[in-house]
Amino acid sequence: MTGFMLAIDTTAGTSVALLSRGSVLSEVRYDNGMKHAELIGDAIAQVFAKVELEPQVVDVVAVGRGPALFTGLRVGIAAGVMLAEAVGARLMGVVSHDALALETYSNRLDLADGRILVVTDARRGEIYWALYDGIDAHGIPVRVAGPAVGKHDQVTAALAEYGQFTEVTGGASAHWVARLAEAQLMAGLETDEVSALYLRAPDAVEPKPNQMFGKRVSG
Amino acid sequence: MTLEQITIRGARIEDLGPIMRLEQNNFGTDSWSEATMRDELVANHTHYLVAAIVDQVTGTESVVGFGGLSKHGSHDQSDIQTVAVAEDMRGKGIGRRLMNQLVGIARDLDARMVFLEVRADNTPAQNLYDSMGFKVIDTRHNYYQPDGVDARIMCLELPANIKHEPIVLGIESSCDETGIGIVRGGTLLANVISSSMELHARFGGVVPEVAARAHLEALQPTLHKALAEAKISLQEVDAIAVANGPGLAGALMVGVGAAKALAVGLGKPIYAVNHLVGHVGADVLERGEVEVPTIALLVSGGHTSLLLVRDLLDDVVLLGETIDDAAGEAFDKVARLLGLPYPGGPEIDRVAANGDPKAIRFPRGLTLPKDMEKHRYDFSFSGLKTAVARWVEVAQDKGEDFSIEDVAASFREAVVDVLVTKAVNACLDNNVPRLLLGGGVVANRRLREVAAAKCEANGIELRIPAFNLCTDNGAMIAALGAQLVMAGRAPSSLSFGADSTLPVTTVQTL
Repeated sequence: MTGFMLAIDTTAGTSVALLSRGSVLSEVRYDNGMKHAELIGDAIAQVFAKVELEPQVVDVVAVGRGPALFTGLRVGIAAGVMLAEAVGARLMGVVSHDALALETYSNRLDLADGRILVVTDARRGEIYWALYDGIDAHGIPVRVAGPAVGKHDQVTAALAEYGQFTEVTGGASAHWVARLAEAQLMAGLETDEVSALYLRAPDAVEPKPNQMFGKRVSG
Repeated sequence: MTLEQITIRGARIEDLGPIMRLEQNNFGTDSWSEATMRDELVANHTHYLVAAIVDQVTGTESVVGFGGLSKHGSHDQSDIQTVAVAEDMRGKGIGRRLMNQLVGIARDLDARMVFLEVRADNTPAQNLYDSMGFKVIDTRHNYYQPDGVDARIMCLELPANIKHEPIVLGIESSCDETGIGIVRGGTLLANVISSSMELHARFGGVVPEVAARAHLEALQPTLHKALAEAKISLQEVDAIAVANGPGLAGALMVGVGAAKALAVGLGKPIYAVNHLVGHVGADVLERGEVEVPTIALLVSGGHTSLLLVRDLLDDVVLLGETIDDAAGEAFDKVARLLGLPYPGGPEIDRVAANGDPKAIRFPRGLTLPKDMEKHRYDFSFSGLKTAVARWVEVAQDKGEDFSIEDVAASFREAVVDVLVTKAVNACLDNNVPRLLLGGGVVANRRLREVAAAKCEANGIELRIPAFNLCTDNGAMIAALGAQLVMAGRAPSSLSFGADSTLPVTTVQTL
């Protein structure tokens, strides 16, 4: 059990939440899928200001590691890493799709024990996805496949072996990152791994050796 | 290229005429009488400044703005009496410079509060005062007559004692170096640079996404090393500074996100500073100040820029920059063409040492008379790179043996020649007896040699900071941040973003 936990997720909008002993004290969520660098500082400052607490109270910083579009994702992780340094808190990472799964299972009683496929937009005609099979005894969603990236129809076809599942989508929020992180801490299943889940290599092409420039005009 | 040389100086009684003309043009029915203005200018408790343009040919001055401050002896309060800028000169930052200097005077006179009144319908002025940290404390209804416009009373609280030598931590992430530096005032405490250069080698140039990923990974270890080197804890840091542009957007955002979280977590102010002006600010760490005016030539893999710096914090002008490739990029590309590894600069330098720089006359970009009219201080290296490629092609097609050493030396000579010639021209044209070099390409031996020789021949003082202060680094960002703190500047808000094309005129993003 932690005193205070600060959670950050920038996989969709910019979202920050402050949690204490299982309840979310304050949260700020900007749904703007861009401007993460602009919004992150105010968002963090506001969750403390709202409840008149100083950042030093924080014992644990939890960040959503994605998968998500890279640029925004990095802003949240960078902020989480540095906030933990600033206040001397422990740092932990969660898969953002796991947080979305927890939110779904908590809010959609009709899906209680069913399988769900959590899907978010990966651009370029692809999706980031992860498949879950209910919640375990610790209250943690059971991920059975993913997270991964691929074409929607191909992903769906490839997952047919898992039988029926309901597809859900949405934007992860720090609120559910915090709840998931809390459950993981209680169960002793937390991880201090906060590397970004890019799932794609950078777009870059290695040039041929001795490459010439432009068209040849001579010869 | 003509540049408006705007200087700010103390007002004299001889300025009364031009001041009154500005007063009447600006304030019309609200104008003070000439007698009132004369009293203001000569009174013991007032401090008036004028902004003047100096004609570079005739040396004559014309007053384009003025402002005054009143501060009575032992009071800890002072008042901005008036600030005015000629209508056709607005939007150039003159009002801000006048205000910054007036507030500086108030601080030097130990004022704790600076008050001013502003017309409620004067939005640009209110925005300026807001950005300087002034807060509206009262409204006087129908204060301005006969228009019946309200006056907003604004107040700026000055910190009781700005720490003489604040500890500032600076973060740099504009390209492929993650830099975290720590300074105490103008003294360097730590300068740790983690470069992702090796990761880019196989691509022959910096890949933005690779650089951004590397920044995220490097943040924590680089911070730990910097704190260990400075022998301080984070809690001792007084302010955070971060480069928010120009540079690679995705890379900059990592630094911005990190810096904001540090500032909020520590409860310390944050200063968003210009990366290029940071290169100029690096000189503070070696000389205690940046002597101005100075021309700065900043040459790296991402930039090739000529700056005229009359004031490090308030008056930086871009004279020219590359219109295509940066000089460092040209080195990389030509190195690859010659079968040399990345990064190209050191490799070309090494090979060129045994070559004849006069063997091949490669073109000097933008130096023909017709180009010089429009691009006197601009650079172009794309044509040079192509010329080298063609030359090699032709030689190969003819089956001729050629000396890579000569090609490298001749290419390097062409780059260095243009860089130094244009920089020295900028010094001579602007009567600036100083040239400061910055950026990773400054490591180039030939550039240093030619710059030293040409500066000496022209009576120009050459400044080349140590290499780890020339290349992209966090210490220069911290140094510029510390200068802002010590000048009593308001911190940046928490809502600034990364700006890949941030102009050099924006030294601090508020």
